[in-house]
This record gives sequence, structure tokens and C-alpha cells, in this order.
Amino acid sequence: MPFGRRNVFLALLAFGAIVPAFANGYQLFVCNLVAIYIILAIGLNLLVGYAGQLAFANAAMFGIGAYVIGLLQVHLGWPFWAAFPIGSLVAAAVGTLLALPALRMSGLYLALSTLAFAQATQWVFLHWETVTFGAGGFKTPQLSFAPLPIGKPAGLYYLSLILVVLLYLFARRLVRSRIGRAFVAVRDSEVAAESLGIDLLRYKALAFGLSGFYAGIAGGLYSALLNFVAPEGYDLFQMIIQKSTIVVGGMGSIAGSVVGASLIILILELLREVKGFQEIAFGALLVGFVLFMRGGLIVVVRRYLSGWEEPLRLTPKAEAPGLPRPDPQPSVAEK
Amino acid sequence: MLLFSYLLMSGITTGALYALVALGIVIVNKATGVINFAQGEFFMFSGYVGWMLHVQYGLNYPLSFVLATLIGFVLGMLTDRIAFRPIAKNDIVSLVLATVGIGFILKGLARVIWGGRSDYLSFPPITSPDPIMVGPLMVVPQQLAVIAGTAVIMLVFAAFFRLTRAGKMMQATADNARAALLVGIRTDQIYTLAFGTGAAIASAAAILTAPVTLIYPDIGFAFFLKGFAAAVLGGLSSLPGAVLGGLIVGIAESLAGGYIHSSVMELSPFLVIMVVLVVRPTGLLASRRARTV
Repeated sequence: MPFGRRNVFLALLAFGAIVPAFANGYQLFVCNLVAIYIILAIGLNLLVGYAGQLAFANAAMFGIGAYVIGLLQVHLGWPFWAAFPIGSLVAAAVGTLLALPALRMSGLYLALSTLAFAQATQWVFLHWETVTFGAGGFKTPQLSFAPLPIGKPAGLYYLSLILVVLLYLFARRLVRSRIGRAFVAVRDSEVAAESLGIDLLRYKALAFGLSGFYAGIAGGLYSALLNFVAPEGYDLFQMIIQKSTIVVGGMGSIAGSVVGASLIILILELLREVKGFQEIAFGALLVGFVLFMRGGLIVVVRRYLSGWEEPLRLTPKAEAPGLPRPDPQPSVAEK
Repeated sequence: MLLFSYLLMSGITTGALYALVALGIVIVNKATGVINFAQGEFFMFSGYVGWMLHVQYGLNYPLSFVLATLIGFVLGMLTDRIAFRPIAKNDIVSLVLATVGIGFILKGLARVIWGGRSDYLSFPPITSPDPIMVGPLMVVPQQLAVIAGTAVIMLVFAAFFRLTRAGKMMQATADNARAALLVGIRTDQIYTLAFGTGAAIASAAAILTAPVTLIYPDIGFAFFLKGFAAAVLGGLSSLPGAVLGGLIVGIAESLAGGYIHSSVMELSPFLVIMVVLVVRPTGLLASRRARTV
């Protein structure tokens, strides 16, 4: 009997739903962190894995989301529930603006200019002290789920879980739609995509905006989880963690983002004591996966779990040079 | 006037260092067409190696300089063999991520090996720290040492490219890799050499600057971004352009820091990179060939 992707994910979801029943505070915190990084990884994968835009600004978007949501609560006294969507939209808007330089640059140049943008964002967090409270960061108000009869840790966990499911399903629908195909076309060849009538500005802006939106949502959840926002949470190291999630999980695979984010957060927590070891581990993971396992872990899953078919996945170029990509077949599990 | 001359001198000093980092980036980029994202980490790591040799083991300054530069050269060659040669034909995303990974491994190693002592290490100065007056200009002798050292390194590299066989083969490979291969140049060895040379330049810059700045594990990335800004300003494929770009970035940063606010200095690479890439992607001194950005 084939496993099927849907069955696996339903089982995982069922497990996720009962976690608060038996987990202690720390375990619940880690599970919540995994949920947040799944959202980040899916958003980044849409941009890098599907649309092929090698941007390094995702940590900055994550930070912008967290800062806007936190600062709206602290300075203007907004409730979390109002600040949360606004902050996510601001992150999406900034992401969309980043598509403008991406129109003129690709590859290395895009990578470097987005890196520079991320540094500039850090600079604003650090030096606009009257608003952002500088290097020390600031505390956000405690999130309350009243009138629901549920505490903050479990409530936030369920909120994150619901958002993961919604954003996962949305991303899956998206990559199978006309938009997802346009992303892949832009990734494989911009010239060919344009000649097929794909508007580069529109689709690049959409990809950047979407990944900014995902990162903004994750930023809001993250600031609520920690009750604290500080610049160092959104620096280059954060970017490497996020890049590792999609490289380890599998570029161009939404399901791979889930696998990668879970594994990376576990490693991150195991090595929490020493930052140097974390850096070595993530550097080695990046190099190792790029060298030896380019498709990421999802390739293994695909090979050994029957009935696991993903539409529009990243096919290695050596497979069929110049041949048209086979039409994605709906999987057995989804019929 | 005193302030201006002081800012100008310190701008030229840091600019000279940016120029060296930029030279390393340009050499790798010219030969291989990629950017080595670990370039700044070579700078940082060799700075620590130099500190260990000079301060901990008590070797004299010139000897530690040479040894640390050699170790940087070996690190660069290793990076090529590990993170470039096996995947040279892959897409650019893999190439970038592999060198980013190498950079993080180096940063983590530095933090684990040397980070425990204190986060900021300083080199003892090799000249007297008191400023001297040269006419109307106020000059710190250490700055002169850095500038002179930079000039010597640049001359050595110019000589290497013009006069030696390896240098000429590198130029040929950069010009047209396929043609170089056809006339019998083993281009993959040239790539290794380019990575090694780039790393060696960054290492030399680190040991030169160590007596004026402090070393800490995160210094590499800041220098990489500024070096890249300088390289982009110079056109990314021109060695004189990299030097000019480095000086411009260094002086502009120093003047902005002195007359506007010291925090503005950290913003300069972002402004330079964005403006140059969007407005004039070929840089100031680029070859006439059209370049895709």
C-alpha cells in the first residue's frame, strides 16, 4: 500500500495537534519554533527554489515583520491581533520593493545587493534608537488568548500550527497554478519565460512579496514566542539558518521545507550551548548538501516512500537537457 | 583642516585595506566568474592566525606575516578543491551557498578556538602610537606602515601578473578560459591558484591592519561587504579599478563618519553597492565588454 504524501502529513499533523497534551514547556517551545521555521522555509523556497531568485534578505524581512508587529504594540498600544496582519503586510510590501533591483540583476549580483540590504536593515534596527530601542531590543506585551480558555504557550502553538497548515496548503496550490509554473519558467530561463509572455516584473515582485509575507508572519509569531525583539535575532546567522533549511530539505519542494526546517531546528537546539559549533555545523551542512545531495533530503523521501509524487519539483538539469519537462502527474494519494 | 587631514589619512588607510580585500575578490572573479563569499572570513581567520603566531608564540612580526599569509593561501586553495572544483559546472546558487558554507565553518572555528579569551583581540602596535605632524597633516605612523605595506603588496602582485609564467597563465585564463585550455594551460589549476592568491591577499591585509583595528569573529563579513562594494565600484574585473574603488569607499566612509555621524560608516557599502549596480553596473573602470549583472 503506498504511503502517499497526504497520509504522511495528516499523521504528522495529528501528532502536532496532540503535542501540548504531553510536552513540557521547553518541548512545546521547540515545536513552536519548528512551526515558525516551516513558515519561513516555505516562503524562502518559493523565492529561491521555485522562482530562482538567490536573495539573502529573508532574515531582514523576518526582522521587519517582528519589529513592526512589536513596535505597533509598544508605541501605539495596538493589540497583537491588529498589529500581526499589518506587520506581515509591511514585510510583504518591503519584499515586493526588493524585486525592483532584482529586475536588473541576477545571480551573484542579486545575492550581494540583498546581502547589503540585509546589513542596512540591521543598521536601522541598531541605530534608529528612538523607535527601535537600539541594540538592547525591547520586550513585547504578553500575548493573551482570552476569552478562549487556553494559556499563552499552547495558544500560540496552535495559532502557529493553524498558520502552518494554511500557508502550506496555499503554497502547494500556488506552485501548481499558473503562477507556480511562471516562477519555474523564470528560474529556468528568463529570456524563454519572457518570450512566452510571462511578465518578469510581475512574477518576480510576486515571489519577493510572497516570501516577505511568509517571513513577516513568522516574525510576528517569533516575537510573540520570545516576548522580545532584538537586532541580533535577525542577522546574517539567521539567514544561514533559513538557507540551510531549504538546502537540507530540498530546493523547489514545499514538502522538503517542512523536513528541512524540522531537522535544522533540532540541530540548532542541540548545539545551543556554543555558537561556534552552530556555525560550523550549518556551514558544513550547506557545503555537504551542495556537494553530495543537491536535491536535499526530500530526494531520499521520494525514492523510498512509494506514492510520493510532487508536481513541479526541481529536476536536476542532467536528467533531460533541452527536453520539455514532463507534465506533472497528480499523485495517487491525491486522487 | 586638521580634522580633514586626519579623516583623509584614516580614509586612505582603511581604503587601502578595502582595496586589498577587493583585489582578492576581483582575482577570483576574473579567473572563475564567481564571487568567493568566504573572502572576508579568510581575512578574519588569518588575522587570528597572525595574532596567535605573533602574540601567543612570540614570533616576530615579519615572520608571522609571511606564515599567516601562507596559511591563508592554503585555505584558499582548499576552498577551491572542496567548494568550487567539484561543482564548478553547477548552477550559481550551489556555488554561492558552498562558499558561504566555507565562510561559516571558518567563522565557527575561529569562535571555538580563539573566541573564548575575549571577543576582541588586539595586536601590539609595531610603530609608536603617537601622531606626528608632516607639514599641516597629522599622521599616525601605523597608518603610514599600512599604506606602505599595501603599496608593496600591490606592486608584488602587479609584478606577479606581468612577469611570472603563472601570472601570465592566470591572465590568459581570465581572458578566455577555453582558449587557455586549448593552448595547454590547465585551467583548473589556475582556478586553484586564483582562490589561493585571493585568500593570501586578504590574509596579508588582515595582518597589516591588525595593529590598528581589533580582531573579532564577525569582522570578516563587514570587510567582505566593503571590499565587494569597492570591487563593484571598480567594475569587478579590473585590478586598478579595485584599488581605486577601495580608496573611494574608504575616504568617503571616513569623511561621512567624521562630518555626519560615525554610525553612517556602516551604511556606506550598502549605498555604494545599490547605487552602482542599479545606475552604472559596469563600474568606473570596467572593460568595454557588456556584462550581465
